[in-house]
Amino acid sequence: MKDKLIVNIIHRPELSPEYAEKALGKGEGVRDESLDIFRFQQDCAHKYGLKTTIQITYASLFSDVIIDLAKKEHEEYGDEIGLSLLGLPCPEFKAKYHTEDFCIWMFDEARKAEIVDDVFGKFYEKFGFYPESTSSYFLDAFTINYIKEHYPTVKCAVATCWEEGPKAYHTCNNSWYTFMDGGPWNPWIPSKVNSHCPAKDAADDSGIVAIPHLSRDLMACFDGNGSNFGTHPQNVLRGMIYYNEEGEYEYPYLYNLIDQYHHLAKYNDGYSYNMMFVGPGWLNRRGRWEAPYELLAKSYDDGMRYYGRLKEEGRLVDMTMSEFADHYRAIHTDYNRGECALWKDILYGNNKEYFWYADPAMRTCLDFNQGGAMIDLRPYVARIPQKTGIGTENVYDASYPYLIQINYRAGFFTHYAGAGTIKSCKVTCRGESADLCLCRTMAVYEKVEGGVRLTADPVTVTLGGLDVVIRSTFTILEGEGVVVTEREILNDVGGEEVCFEEYFTGAFGTTEYQADMSRLTLSVDEDSMTYGYLGRKIEKENAAAARVVIPDVLTAVEMGGDNDLALVEEGIAFSPVYHLALRKTITKGGVKTWLKLQKAN
Amino acid sequence: MAQATKGKLNYRCPSCFMRDIDIDMFYDEGRKEYYCLRCNFTGSEADVLRLNEAARFRYRYMRMRVTDFGADNEPIQFAPHKGGEP
Repeated sequence: MKDKLIVNIIHRPELSPEYAEKALGKGEGVRDESLDIFRFQQDCAHKYGLKTTIQITYASLFSDVIIDLAKKEHEEYGDEIGLSLLGLPCPEFKAKYHTEDFCIWMFDEARKAEIVDDVFGKFYEKFGFYPESTSSYFLDAFTINYIKEHYPTVKCAVATCWEEGPKAYHTCNNSWYTFMDGGPWNPWIPSKVNSHCPAKDAADDSGIVAIPHLSRDLMACFDGNGSNFGTHPQNVLRGMIYYNEEGEYEYPYLYNLIDQYHHLAKYNDGYSYNMMFVGPGWLNRRGRWEAPYELLAKSYDDGMRYYGRLKEEGRLVDMTMSEFADHYRAIHTDYNRGECALWKDILYGNNKEYFWYADPAMRTCLDFNQGGAMIDLRPYVARIPQKTGIGTENVYDASYPYLIQINYRAGFFTHYAGAGTIKSCKVTCRGESADLCLCRTMAVYEKVEGGVRLTADPVTVTLGGLDVVIRSTFTILEGEGVVVTEREILNDVGGEEVCFEEYFTGAFGTTEYQADMSRLTLSVDEDSMTYGYLGRKIEKENAAAARVVIPDVLTAVEMGGDNDLALVEEGIAFSPVYHLALRKTITKGGVKTWLKLQKAN
Repeated sequence: MAQATKGKLNYRCPSCFMRDIDIDMFYDEGRKEYYCLRCNFTGSEADVLRLNEAARFRYRYMRMRVTDFGADNEPIQFAPHKGGEP
């Protein structure tokens, strides 16, 4: 199994798919077309020797045709019959619940439980057993815990769409309220407290293995629309990432994306994963996203054909969702092991490289096109007990908060005033300064005792005519919420003084807009201040640590290590961020600092 | 004059697409043109197709196939994609 790409292929028969209904209207035409699409998808997978997981929807529980088909294909091909919480909208559901809502995480808790019981109960009536897998675009901790408590057979669930948040909302003309940024991009065991966070131990283990809805491009989706760049052939068409050559449509990007997911085995002890989960609305006969039905169907068939070919070559293993959950648990015996992805651009021709990392204490991303700057940071260590749905503070916003997100809250570049969120290093010599954000490089990954290390290729900054060659190393201690950063001078600078300022500019939130920061406390050792938007600083020589406590997200951030001077600085109303920094001047050797995330009650 | 309708393949506004917004255009039969409800784009089907092609300018490797992901700190190796093959 080592070094083989594992794939989950998932189909859901919807009899009132949201997109087709809009295009075709309601009624038998939609129901028949939806059933045909489901059959087509199943046939595609089976034709290439692949088994699937059939996620039965609420609407299909009222269809004997689908129930019989699912049972038959389970017998014939070994397909798993699971139960989806997607596809709730249908006449029966609307008549019973008197709502147009269809996202399980957006209902109030009583209604979530009622729907789960209803759906699981009907499933049992029709099939005579309870499912081992379920799915949604997002599953909050309450729903997962409720399902696991009442239907313990469930061991796998589709539980998030990676980085579907403000970007998806904007792309959909500010009308698609699926805010679920901040989770892992690859399968994980969710915490009982917050489903975004990987469980830290057996007590925190929700009892299921969560998988993402699609395997998405870890670079393109960070800035662009997630629904253009995933292992969903129709997503690739939506992004217009195809061309016509001699009358044939081609989309090598889809295969490159699958291959890069396979390549991630290198950073995860030989394990790699992929999933394809295409709803029927994406294959409707009227075409979609300028693409005629023939192209939609061809792209789906080609996707399956590629998986089938990899399987034939012995490079891929197809699993059902419950089979995958068993396999995942068998090879992930250490809750703290970080999920790693050293991801390279495969679409834009820019040679950028990101390092994505997730463990029970944090999710982060380092951008080596910006010298290894930290461009995303989510404090999983806080295990923020967010509730979602009607009656909570987060009716639709299920995103896990960031401390750093350079696209929502600027990064190195800002317009004239203020600062953006990022962690980087400013180097000063002969009265001139340069930020390592402006040094484009790449890095090498290595697994080390208790963590992972990224070593960036050396970069040169030229300050007052003097070249300073610097190597940066980043070591993440697994499960500790700690990143150790080392900056080393590699050349002889003739005894000149070079000052390194390792800094962290942070914020908090789930969208582009900052909530009030008045509850923050900034401190250096014992000296502290409450955030007041006055641009004040606290500085101390040879300090133990600079620190900020952010009660709104139950998080404390601390920086320590080599320093002549530590400082914290509040922002202003025009630039609501906070800064932590450590300065150290040397003439040779290096500077070692650490960043630590902690839960703050 | 009758109300506008969706075009035959629900064409999105190419101007909005280039700023990462998916918004279907409507077709004005009287003026024989597509138009965007949000921005100021109007155009014929030929205009839309031409601009959709232009929108692909950012995908410089759209026609390339990865041949080797290379060492961690080296660029990926690509070759032109061969049509008809994965």
